[in-house]
Amino acid sequence: MLFTLAFRNLWRNRRRTLLTLSAMVASAALLILALGVFSGMFRDMLASATEQYYGHLVLAKTEYHERRDMFAHLDEEVASRYITAEDTEIIGISPRLRSFGLISLAETSQPVELLGVIPEREKQVTSLQTKLIAGNYPSEAVNNGALIGQGLARKLKVSTGDEMVFVTQAADGSIGNDLLIITGIFATGDSRHDNNLVLAPLGWAQKIMVLPGRIHEVAMTLADPMLAALTADRLNPRLPDDVEILDWGDLLPEMREVIAAYDVSRMIIVSILYMATGLGILNTFFMSVMERTREFGILMAQGMRPWTIRGLVLLETCLLGGIALAIGLTCGAVMTLYMQQVGIDLAGYITPVTYAGGTILPRLHAVFEAGNFYVPAGMLLLVSLIAGFLPANRAARLDPVQAVREV
Amino acid sequence: MSLIELQDVSKIYRLGSQEIPALTGVSLTFEAGEFAVLAGPSGSGKTTALNLIGCLDHPTSGHVIVNGLDLGTASKKALADFRLQNIGFIFQSYNLIPVLTAAENAEFTLMLQKVPKPERRAKVRKLFVDLGIDGLENRRPADLSGGQQQRVAIARAMAADPHVILADEPTANLDSHTAEELLELMRRLNREQATTFIFSSHDDRVIAQARRVIHLQDGCLADDLTISK
Amino acid sequence: MKTIRIAGILSTLILSAIILLAVRPSFALDVEALVRQVEQQYMGASSRAQTTMLVKTSHWERSLEMEAWSLDRDYFLVRIIEPAKERDVATLKRFREVWNYLPKVDRVIKVPPSMMGGSWMGSHITNDDLVKANHIEKDYNLRLIEETDTYFLVECLPKADAAVVWGKIVYRINKTPQVPEQIDYYDEEMVRVREIHFDDVQQIGDRIVPMRLTVLPLEKPDEQTILHYRELVFDLPLDENYFSLRNLKKR
Repeated sequence: MLFTLAFRNLWRNRRRTLLTLSAMVASAALLILALGVFSGMFRDMLASATEQYYGHLVLAKTEYHERRDMFAHLDEEVASRYITAEDTEIIGISPRLRSFGLISLAETSQPVELLGVIPEREKQVTSLQTKLIAGNYPSEAVNNGALIGQGLARKLKVSTGDEMVFVTQAADGSIGNDLLIITGIFATGDSRHDNNLVLAPLGWAQKIMVLPGRIHEVAMTLADPMLAALTADRLNPRLPDDVEILDWGDLLPEMREVIAAYDVSRMIIVSILYMATGLGILNTFFMSVMERTREFGILMAQGMRPWTIRGLVLLETCLLGGIALAIGLTCGAVMTLYMQQVGIDLAGYITPVTYAGGTILPRLHAVFEAGNFYVPAGMLLLVSLIAGFLPANRAARLDPVQAVREV
Repeated sequence: MSLIELQDVSKIYRLGSQEIPALTGVSLTFEAGEFAVLAGPSGSGKTTALNLIGCLDHPTSGHVIVNGLDLGTASKKALADFRLQNIGFIFQSYNLIPVLTAAENAEFTLMLQKVPKPERRAKVRKLFVDLGIDGLENRRPADLSGGQQQRVAIARAMAADPHVILADEPTANLDSHTAEELLELMRRLNREQATTFIFSSHDDRVIAQARRVIHLQDGCLADDLTISK
Repeated sequence: MKTIRIAGILSTLILSAIILLAVRPSFALDVEALVRQVEQQYMGASSRAQTTMLVKTSHWERSLEMEAWSLDRDYFLVRIIEPAKERDVATLKRFREVWNYLPKVDRVIKVPPSMMGGSWMGSHITNDDLVKANHIEKDYNLRLIEETDTYFLVECLPKADAAVVWGKIVYRINKTPQVPEQIDYYDEEMVRVREIHFDDVQQIGDRIVPMRLTVLPLEKPDEQTILHYRELVFDLPLDENYFSLRNLKKR
């Protein structure tokens, strides 16, 4: 009956309750949407950093991780020795040979980073094939086909089908140089990749660098990028002392910090927004309690304990919180779903921003993440409880003799 | 042992630095089954006396002993529990919780006593019949007349089988006909079920119905008459 | 890069020779005057050299046979003769620009400014060495800091507004014959990072020049580049047209 009483009490001042409720629903729903969009942004950032370049895990000689020393190379079959079919969380493995050199076309030359890759393997790790703005991804068919970034193409004034020269210092000290044919141009929005990165066939790169059968690193993709550190910890003991797997958190410590900071800022945003909502709840229930002073007096006279009175008011705020939560979560989920499926393209207004090693794309796009729901939900109930406590306390401490005199 | 005993009870209210004596040195006893009225003009201390008897308030000095217990320094919670088991209250008006139906209002004290639902349903249904308000169970207080509301309040007060029902000017807001009917009802309950009633009133017609009339004047006991009829 | 180095070395050699010849009659040596004179004497000089460059790093060791031409201090052309794999790879320096010719792809590539600090032909000589070696007296203040019976020690500190890579350069020049013995290069923290040693002093025509120079990157003790002049001819009838991009490609 207490529950019935609390529920009916809520609707005594329908308009006031609805106003408060709508504020709660709006704050919860918008919060869920905003957090979803934030998460989408971070997911984009992480994806740009991992799916456009590193992958989630990178296996290489420790020395290579540290100094990119071109002589710290590995056998190109190295991955198959340490990673088995049982490592099901690893869904992509791409051996790579890296070379820093010069791409040149007549008068124009640009320093670049060339990754020698096996196209079909690399596609499992990076997603540049989805970022093509012209041409095709290099295939095995063309032994010197290259994929370059939009920025580089612009600087060199080249388009697909053009030839360009790559020059580098080979491992035997000679000047490695050969022609590449541009098969495709990608645009990731991350200027470092768009201006510097060249993908070419592994065999071609091995030949030009005079490193037959050798690679510098093995990039890997995981089903769940958030488990990268755990997977690295699990795999590392299998490896020889001079070989090491780093996860994206090691490779992009800023990104790891950004994601950790996000968890904190999520709490801060939730707290600030709910503070306002909490004040609204507080006000509503204070008014409600004041208006019912006589009723509380009568209930007390009947023998209702102070704590039961307190419980009644808290039950009312929690009920309101619960209703707000149900509607808010639903609205939030619907809006998040819309933003996940459709999103808003801002490419016409802003350009991509590179930050902490990742690129924030010019779009509003949400992803579902459990924390974005249970943090606002839990906090809303908590806020309802806290905001309800003061009025509840006031009601509980009424003097019944005074209270029954109020009309 | 008397049901209720007031021993040299005084109550002084403080308004800032001012002390307002509401009751001064009142000693009274009530026995079970009484039908007594506290009479006197407003401000004479009737309501204060009822509040003290009903354990809503502590006396400034003296003792109030109800059913053998002196709750002089008991906590609010202990007082609440005591009221729940021993006292029924009927106020002048607006006794009922507006969001609950008549039956729910009447059941409320039983609910607080944790009486199982079927049992309290049955009890309230019977009470409603006794009090002539059967058929109004599912109405909200706003849809009841003043007399019906007071009957529901009586039902609620009686539902928990208290030792005493205290009614503070229960007829004040009723027309004379309805007031008479309500008084008649309380008298009948007193007669048939031996329910103890103590109420306050300044209405002579009400006072005339009582078997014991205690006159209060400026917080002091002026007269205590038992009328045999 | 190596070519550039060679140009610098050639310049130095020529300077040294000139100094030897020109300075003999002077008594109190003024460094500024000496350098100016060295410069002027170098101007107008042309040369052709057959060199062997031996580059040793911790990972590989190789030897290149090269032929080089220079004019003034602004033009320089070097072409690899051996090994066969890199035959006809050539570098051309015109003033402050450097081009490489790659016969394998038949392309001329201009070295971009960002790559000027990079290694030339895999040696311990940078592209910058090729370009800037001959501008020492423009970018640095010269000062004689020591003079003994046998050598001069000249210190070069960068001028306030000069865009230079070194924090200090110290030349040690032998008196008789007047040839450079050693050049020490310091970085901006005044840590010595590179040394060039000269030896095998020979008379070439009417000049005396050290025919071998050794570049030692001090950060990598097991590495070095040795440039050995097997043949050196001065005052050839070359003009700037010889140092054209077309000629760079000519085999």
